[in-house]
Amino acid sequence: MHPAFLALLPAVLAPAQDPGPAAKADAAPVGRATVYRVDRIETLDGEAMESATLVVRQGVIEALGKAVVVPTGAVVHDLRGGGSTLMPPYVLTHANWLQSDSRGNGRNARFLAADSLWLDDDALQPLREHGVLLVGVDPPGSGLPGRTSVLDADAAAPQPRARVRDLHLKVELDSNNRSKELLRKALEDADKAIEKEAKARTDWEKARKDWDEKQKKAAADKAAKDEKKPAEGGEATPKPGKDEGGDDKSSGKGKDAEEKAPPETFEPPTIEPDLVPVVEWVRKQRVAQIWVDDAAAWLHLLDVLGERELPWELVAMHSSSTNLHEVLDALEKRGERVYLPARLSFLPFTRTRLNLPAELAARGVPLVLLPPATRGPGGFGRSSAETNLHDWRAGVSELVRGGLDRGVALRAITLEAAAAIGQEEHVAALVAGGPATFVILDGDPLDATAEVQFLLREGKVLYDRAKEEKEERR
Amino acid sequence: MSPVSRETFWRLLAGAVFLLFAAVAGWAQEPPPGPDPQPEPAVEAAEEIEEVAEAAAEPEVVENLLAIVGGRIHTVTDGVIHQGTVLVRAGRIEAVGAQVSVPAGARVIDATGMHVYPGLVATDASGLLGRPPKPADSFDPFSLTVDLALSGGLTTVHNNGVVGKLTRGTLEGHILRENPFVELSYSSTSPTSRRKLVEDLEKAREFLRQRHAAERARADGDKDAKDPSDKGVNKDLVELLEGRRTAQLQGSNARDLLAVVDLLERFPMRAVVGSGIEAWTVAPQLGRAGVMVVVSPRQKNWADDRFNRPNGWSIENARILHDAGVRFTLQPRSSSISTGGIAGRDLLTLPMEAAFAIRGGLPQAAALKAITLDAARILGVEDRIGSIEAGKDADLIVTDGDLFDYRTFVQWAVVNGRVAYDKQAAPYFAHIRPRQEPPSGDALDALRAAAPGGADAALDDGKDVAEPRDVDAPENSSGTNGG
Repeated sequence: MHPAFLALLPAVLAPAQDPGPAAKADAAPVGRATVYRVDRIETLDGEAMESATLVVRQGVIEALGKAVVVPTGAVVHDLRGGGSTLMPPYVLTHANWLQSDSRGNGRNARFLAADSLWLDDDALQPLREHGVLLVGVDPPGSGLPGRTSVLDADAAAPQPRARVRDLHLKVELDSNNRSKELLRKALEDADKAIEKEAKARTDWEKARKDWDEKQKKAAADKAAKDEKKPAEGGEATPKPGKDEGGDDKSSGKGKDAEEKAPPETFEPPTIEPDLVPVVEWVRKQRVAQIWVDDAAAWLHLLDVLGERELPWELVAMHSSSTNLHEVLDALEKRGERVYLPARLSFLPFTRTRLNLPAELAARGVPLVLLPPATRGPGGFGRSSAETNLHDWRAGVSELVRGGLDRGVALRAITLEAAAAIGQEEHVAALVAGGPATFVILDGDPLDATAEVQFLLREGKVLYDRAKEEKEERR
Repeated sequence: MSPVSRETFWRLLAGAVFLLFAAVAGWAQEPPPGPDPQPEPAVEAAEEIEEVAEAAAEPEVVENLLAIVGGRIHTVTDGVIHQGTVLVRAGRIEAVGAQVSVPAGARVIDATGMHVYPGLVATDASGLLGRPPKPADSFDPFSLTVDLALSGGLTTVHNNGVVGKLTRGTLEGHILRENPFVELSYSSTSPTSRRKLVEDLEKAREFLRQRHAAERARADGDKDAKDPSDKGVNKDLVELLEGRRTAQLQGSNARDLLAVVDLLERFPMRAVVGSGIEAWTVAPQLGRAGVMVVVSPRQKNWADDRFNRPNGWSIENARILHDAGVRFTLQPRSSSISTGGIAGRDLLTLPMEAAFAIRGGLPQAAALKAITLDAARILGVEDRIGSIEAGKDADLIVTDGDLFDYRTFVQWAVVNGRVAYDKQAAPYFAHIRPRQEPPSGDALDALRAAAPGGADAALDDGKDVAEPRDVDAPENSSGTNGG
C-alpha cells in the first residue's frame, strides 16, 4: 500500500465515535500520535471495550475503540495479552499518611492541609506507581481541624504546590462529646458574626445616609452664605483620608465639621480566622466534609445542624464493626455523596457481614471509596503509602466480590472521587476528544496485584514502569 | 295472715319482682360501670374501624398511635387490670382500662397472656448515658448496653446528673431532667462537715424566709419590698429546701441513718440515703422523717456482735421498710450493664434483685413500685413516669410472664410511645423460647381442620411459650406502701 494512502487512512477511519474532526480533516493532524493497544478499555462511560486501541495526539484522545487504525509514524505501545486494562486514573480523596500530626480536638479551621504536609523527597512516587493522579489531603484531628487540599501526584515533593489549597471545611464528630459542642459553638459564633456584620452594615448605611444629607445641607447653607460673603475654608478632612465630602467647610465652625465621615466602602467587622471558614459555610459559600464514626454521631450531627440547610458531604468512618446500617434510610433520603473506607464490616456483636458501600450504592447514594486504613478521631493511617494503596484496591475488590456493582466501584475510585474534589474536568470518562488522562495496568484495575504500566495526564507520561525499571537497574 | 294482707303481699311481691326485672333490664342498657375516659370518641372510633375495614383490608397505620391489648396491666397506682388495653398517642398514655376501644390505624401489640408494667427505673446506672461534661452530647442510642438494658426492662436511668430515657435509635425525648440530686455529706465521723452543712442550710432557710416575706409584702402592695441578697447562700441547698431537688446522702449503718433522720427533722426535704444496709434496724424513724432509701437486697454485711442492738444485713430489709411506710428503691450492687463477669448481679437483672426482696417478705406489688414509681420519685420525675396512668409518658414493658420470675423475658419495651425493643427483632434473646405470634383467623381454621382435638389442642403443644406464669400473690393493689 502506498504510504501516502496510509497517512490519510486514520483521518478517515480513526474517529469512529466522533465524525466531526474527520469531516474537516483537510489539514493533517499536527504532532506525533501515541497509540496504546490493550486488552480492555474501561471508559467508565457505558460498556467496556475489549481488545481495543486508543490514540493520543496533542494531549487529547484522538480515537478509541476496537476498529481504530494506528496512524502512520505513531509510537505504539502494545500491551495486549495478560489482561491489560486502560481506564481513567485513580483519584484518592483522603491520603492522610501525607499529613503531619493531629492538632487534636478544637476549632482550627484556619489551617490548610496543604500547609501541614510531612513529605519525603519521593513521598508522592508511590501514588504514581499505583496510578493515582490526584490526591486529597485532610487535616487530621477531631472537631474542626482545618480545611482539605488537593495535590497532583506529580507535584514536586517535599514542598508540592497544591492544585487546590482550600477545598472543604473538615468537621469530625466522634464519640468525644466535645466535638459536638465545638461544632454547635462554631455555628452559633458564625451566626453571631453574620448578625454582627449585618448590623454593622445597617449602621454604616444609615451613617452614610445621614452624612450625605448633612453634607447636602451644609453645602446648601454654605451656598446661601457664599452669596453673602465668599470665603476660603480650612480643610476638615475626615479621618480615613478619603477626600469624599471634600467640599471645603466654613473654617472650624460648629461641631459638624469635626465629625468623622463614615468610610465610603463598607468595612465588615473582622472575624476570627478560625471562624471565617465556618461563616463561609453557614453562608453556603463552601462545602463542609463531615466525618462521623457511628450511627450515634450521625444523630448528634443532625441534632446540631437542626433546621439549617447547609452544603455538606458525609465521611462515614465505618470500622470492622459498624452500626451505620441503622442510618441507611436517612442517607438514602439525603441522597448526597458519601465517602467511606473500602472495607466489609460486621454488624455489631455478630459475625454477620455488612457491605455498607454496596447497601448505599443499591440505594442510589453516590460513593467515594477510601483506603480501609483511613482513620477517624485523632489518629490517621500510620501505615505506609504502599500498604494503604495496596489495601485500597484490595478492599474495593472485596466489596465487589461482596455484591457492590463493579461500575460503581470503579467510578468511586476515579470519576466520583475526582468530582468530589472538584476535578471532574480533569478526570473524566474516556471519550474521543477528551483529555488523554488515564492509567494502564497489566491486569484488572481491582486486582491489587496488577501493576500500573502507564499513567498519563493530557498525553504527558507521568509514570512509565518499563522506563522506571530500566533506570532502577542502571 | 288475713286474705287482704295475703293479697297485698302477693301484689307487693309481684311489684317487687317487676321492679327488679326493670332495674336489671335498665342497668343492662346502661354503659358498664367504672370510669370511661372518652366514651364518645370510642364509639366514633369503633365506627371508624368498620369503615376502614370496609375500605381496605389493611388500614393505614397511624403514626404515634399504639395499643397494647389483652395483657394484664400492672398500673402500680391503681391495681391490676386483667385483659386490659393501654392506648398510647404521641408518646403519652391516653387511656388505660378493660373497656378502652382501639382506634383505627393504631399499631396493636397483642399482649394476650402477657403482663404489662411501667418501664423500670434505676436511680444509678453507669455506662448507659453519655459522659460528662455534656452527657446529652455523647449519648449513644444504638449502643449494646442500651439494647440490653431495654431487654432487662429498664426505660429510664440516672447517671452523672442526667435522668435519661433509653430512647433506642433516637435522641428525641432522651433527657427527662437534669441534676435531680444535691449530694450532701453528713457523716457521723466528721462533726465539722456536719456543722458546716447545718449552718449552710440555716442560711438557705433564712434566705427563703426573707424572700417569702418580700413576696408577701409585694402581694400586700408594698412595691419597695426587695428580695434578700443571695450572697453566701448555697443555691443547691435553697433548691433542696424548696423541694425541687433531692438530697443524696450516704448511710449504711444505723448511726449514719439516724444522723440523716436528725437532719431531716430539722430541715424537711426530699432525701434519699444510699446503701441503706442497716435501714431495717431504724425503719420507724426513717418512716417518720420521710427518708427514702436505696436497698440492695443481696448485699450482705454480717452482724457485729459487739453491738448490743440489731445490725448488719437482713434479707427482710425491704419488707421491714415497707411495713414502716418508708419509700425505697431496689438496686443491684453493680450499677452497670455487665457483658462480662458473673451473670445476674447487675442492672440487666434488676427484677431478680427485687425478687430477693420479695423472698424476704416484700409484697410483689411493693417490689414493683420500688423499681418504678418510687425510683421515679427519688429522681423527682414521678409526674412523668413510674406508673401506667392516662397522661403519663408511654414508657412500658410487656413481659411473657411475671416480672419477678427468673424465666421471664421482656418481649417489648416502649419508650415515649415508640417500640424501643422487640425481643424477636433484636439479636440477643430471640432464639430463647421464641415468641409465637398469635395465629390469625385463617391459620386458626387450618389448625382446627388439622388437629383432631381442635385448634386449642393444636396450639397447646406442650411448649411453655408465652404462657402466663403467675406467681402473683393474691394482692390486687400496691396501695399498701404508705406515704
